[in-house]
Amino acid sequence: MLRPESPQEDRISTLFWIMFGGCLVGLGVVAAFLLLGWLRRHRPGLPGGGGDNAGSGIVIVLGVAVPIVVLSALFWYSDLHALNATAAPAAGSGQLQVEVTGHQWFWEVRYPGTEAVTANEIHIPAGVGVELIAKTADVIHSFWVPRLARKIDMIPGHPNRIELYARDPGIYRGRCSEFCGLQHANMQLLVVAESQQQFQRWLADMGAPAAEPAGAHANRGRGLFLENACAGCHTIRGTAATGTLGPDLTHLGSRLTLGAGTLRNTTGDLAAWVLDPHQAKPGNRMPRLSLPKSDFNDLIAYLETLR
Amino acid sequence: MAIEVYTPTARRRVDRLDAIWTERPGLLGWLTTVNHKRIGLLFFFTSLAFFAAGGVEALLIRTQLAGPGLGVVSPSVFNQLFTVHGVTMIFLFVIPMGIGAFGNYLLPLMIGARDLAFPRLNMLSYWFFLASGCFIYAGLLMGDGPDQGWFSYVPLADREFSPGLGVDFYALGLIFNSMSTTATATNLIVTTFKARAPGMSLNRMPLFCYAQLAVSFVLVFALPALTVDLVFLELDRRLGFQFFEPANGGSTLLWQHLFWIFGHPEVYAIILPAMGIATSIIPAFAQRKMIAFPLVALAELLVGFIGFGVWAHHMFAVGMPTVTAIFFAGATLMVVIPSTIQIFAWTTTVAMGTPVFATPLLFIGGFIALFVTGGLSGIMFAAIPFDQAVTDTYFVVAHFHFIIFGAAVFPLLGGMYFWFPKVTGRMYNEPLGKASFWLAFLGTWLTFFPMHIVGLLGMTRRVYTYQPGLGWDAYNLAETIGSYLLAAGLVLIAVNLCLSLVRGPIAGPNPWHAPTLDWATPSPPPEFNFPVIPRVRSAYPMWDADDRLDDRRRLEDGELLFDAGHQMPATTVRDADLDEILKLPTESASPLLVALPVTLVFVMLLTSHYIGAGLCGALALVALAGWHSREPQAA
Amino acid sequence: MTSFEAAGARPRSLPNGWWGMLVFVAGEATLFGCLIGSYFYVRLQSVHWPQGGIEPKGVLVPIVLVAALASTSIFMQLASAAGVREHAGAAVAALLVALVVQSGYFAFEVHDFRADLAAFSPHDNGYASIYYTLLGADHAHVALGLLLNAWVLLRLLGGLTRYRLNALRAVTLYWHAVNVITLVVTATILSPSA
Repeated sequence: MLRPESPQEDRISTLFWIMFGGCLVGLGVVAAFLLLGWLRRHRPGLPGGGGDNAGSGIVIVLGVAVPIVVLSALFWYSDLHALNATAAPAAGSGQLQVEVTGHQWFWEVRYPGTEAVTANEIHIPAGVGVELIAKTADVIHSFWVPRLARKIDMIPGHPNRIELYARDPGIYRGRCSEFCGLQHANMQLLVVAESQQQFQRWLADMGAPAAEPAGAHANRGRGLFLENACAGCHTIRGTAATGTLGPDLTHLGSRLTLGAGTLRNTTGDLAAWVLDPHQAKPGNRMPRLSLPKSDFNDLIAYLETLR
Repeated sequence: MAIEVYTPTARRRVDRLDAIWTERPGLLGWLTTVNHKRIGLLFFFTSLAFFAAGGVEALLIRTQLAGPGLGVVSPSVFNQLFTVHGVTMIFLFVIPMGIGAFGNYLLPLMIGARDLAFPRLNMLSYWFFLASGCFIYAGLLMGDGPDQGWFSYVPLADREFSPGLGVDFYALGLIFNSMSTTATATNLIVTTFKARAPGMSLNRMPLFCYAQLAVSFVLVFALPALTVDLVFLELDRRLGFQFFEPANGGSTLLWQHLFWIFGHPEVYAIILPAMGIATSIIPAFAQRKMIAFPLVALAELLVGFIGFGVWAHHMFAVGMPTVTAIFFAGATLMVVIPSTIQIFAWTTTVAMGTPVFATPLLFIGGFIALFVTGGLSGIMFAAIPFDQAVTDTYFVVAHFHFIIFGAAVFPLLGGMYFWFPKVTGRMYNEPLGKASFWLAFLGTWLTFFPMHIVGLLGMTRRVYTYQPGLGWDAYNLAETIGSYLLAAGLVLIAVNLCLSLVRGPIAGPNPWHAPTLDWATPSPPPEFNFPVIPRVRSAYPMWDADDRLDDRRRLEDGELLFDAGHQMPATTVRDADLDEILKLPTESASPLLVALPVTLVFVMLLTSHYIGAGLCGALALVALAGWHSREPQAA
Repeated sequence: MTSFEAAGARPRSLPNGWWGMLVFVAGEATLFGCLIGSYFYVRLQSVHWPQGGIEPKGVLVPIVLVAALASTSIFMQLASAAGVREHAGAAVAALLVALVVQSGYFAFEVHDFRADLAAFSPHDNGYASIYYTLLGADHAHVALGLLLNAWVLLRLLGGLTRYRLNALRAVTLYWHAVNVITLVVTATILSPSA
């Protein structure tokens, strides 16, 4: 909100600064009264004379009349005027849709009308309004990308929609904003705003099944993935792995982070994650794997081919 | 007045009252007491113990968050810490301290009564408070404490996602605790209506009593919503009911609505006793009457009343219809007005008086500054788009700590200093008092102000750690340092009061020349409070010297003495005309004998022994029958 | 008034115990308000009501029963009035009649509750959960009222004191509240059948 990147956030930012100015004035007035009390502590009564009735008058003017005027103005500006900027897109507007489902503790991302599925990372074309549909698979989560849009809760049985818009290309951080259990602190996501061409290419990539692994190690790695517990929780389209408890890994290699923003997507971090997910994210649902070292390296080699 | 030197006749009368009213000495006396001052002290020290526990939890939280990625505590422990911190501070500290300690001790003294309307119920309320607090902490100490947040949203709090006993400790513990709070609130309401001194019509009642009346009504009408919510939660968890399960016809948001229908009025319950304390300290230290007294009394009542209509402003991000949100934003702005009335009444009174900025008034000055700051950030939340940006961030944490700590706790601390001479008969150390104020005040600012900034920078609440490189590190470190300073200030207050208890100079009955009847008694007050029930003709009885001389004359003549037993007058509701002589109960073991089986009922429910719970409930009813078989009022 | 003999004779104001009971029932009424509010909240979000094809309740028997219960308010009030005029025998008689009718009501309701449980279970759906909880809470308050009446009756048989009279008046107020609450709860429960 302090560095807004959308009209919605612009409006919220302006609203904030206006209210902040008002707060300074309000605090100043009260501080002035207290200061007056201190300075005139040996002289009873008001500076201009005037008894209890004048005092009551001050209470009525400053305590009732002025607040009514100021608060009415605030109500009109913020709740009748500025509020329109945060409205959800009208139904059937034909906008690009992205559907995000919160899980403990990752984000499932789909693009309705396409085959694209990914996790923890959303791509949108810059300068284009996108309709975000917010759902949950388990407890209440809340989708929030501070520079782009207001928060929206993800509530079972109650899907919600907001407008997601990024003025300029860039990478914008988001995080879960409703306490959702043990690893709520490590449930981040990235919104990548890019040119329309780049976006379409990415979307097409996300919709494609996993590339065939090249090389013996990667092939062995795929076999290990399917034989072990991995396939029970994760989906890799184009293989027999169809688990849905964990994020879709079909294009794991294309993501900027791992573990919902907890680690960078490098070989070292990937290996550390797979070896012991509880180091970085204690208590999350992914079990530790115990494989012989060469098997483990093959598995990592395979995962890295999933671009 | 307070009669310090008695004539022989007066001395005889006072000694006779002493003999009638003095309770058993020693531990047995404390276990069977029904005296409001003793019970008030029990509430005071127990609340203080819970405050310390909640404070330790806060320090652990702040230590963990001093830097990114620290491992001071595990995520599981952290989540228990912030959950229990919230529950402790709200249910086990600030409310019991506000009504159970301050209300209990001071209300009868301020209205010229000898005790509350229901002395045995008063003690039962204390036992329920102690037992429910221990019940909740038992979970934490067993490592299975509540960890789903004090607001306990479903589905996270459901069996599926919180399989341990933590949520059950929370739910059953709070139902138990609400029985204590409701009992005290009921007691305070009836006492305020029926036990005021003759002549203390409603428009002559101290503003402190208006605040206590308002908070009691708020609690009576707000707690049932929480009770219903918690019962639904336990039925879902234990017996497979479907209140909150959308797949089976229930509603997830039902939890939130009921919770906040309770939760928002609760925050006004938290602040009202503090407002009452402020309105006691200001006239005393400004040495003048409160400006716009009727408006202030009305404002105290209105704050509680309008507070019932604003709850959904805690839910602006759930995706509610725009019209609904606008309604609640409008109501939220309306509830500001009673607070602005009071703020300007207080500050104008101070400005127009000749204030002595001794420690109690410093705490009130600090309270006003913190209340205004927190109130202004609260107003900002009524701007829905802004709320939708900052809800669930540290901006909210800043707002409510400025209000709860700054505006609710500062007056409690000031009140401890203010009434210290009355309760103990000794005066505290003034320079140390001022130092403790400044340390606590600066610590409060340093701890909570940066939270506004870090919230605007995107830091969400209830996170056990945060990632480096987000620009949050310095602010969090400052907040942690501030919390230690604040803790030091609080410790200094405790040190001051403890030392003064032992070595402070003797204080007279009214060292502040304060206007209300609590300052009419010796310090500390005798068991029976007033040897003669005072007659009251204004809202500032201690500044009516003639009336107080009249009290002295009546003591001599034996008029309005009520010494034919454990007696107290009851008066009519509006005009406080003398109506009936009540005979109050003397010490009784009944409250304890009822509290024990009731505690067992909750333990049995926790451990799923439903038949056992029923049996213990029957036992409690038997004890209750025993209670009502001893009738203090003869035909 | 300064003479306390005159003040003690016949107070103008209602006794403290009555006021305490008033505050208590205000809280209980709020409790039921929340239960009923929850009933309608869940209902407004449901397509079908009752959910899950549960049969709506027949209206005749519940209406007769609640009318019988409500009539006991008259007897309770008569008992209180007799007690205030210090006619202990009349108070006991009126109280006994009320207790008998209330017990009969309760027995019927228990039977009805068990019949419901045989037809559908509280864990079936949201409707069933709120139905049983709302009705169960009402029955619990009636049961408590029966215990209170039995206790006061027992004590009155040992003589009429100011303390026992206060208890009678407070319990009378309790029953008025429970009767009103039961009327509202019954109307709510029967509303799908309307």
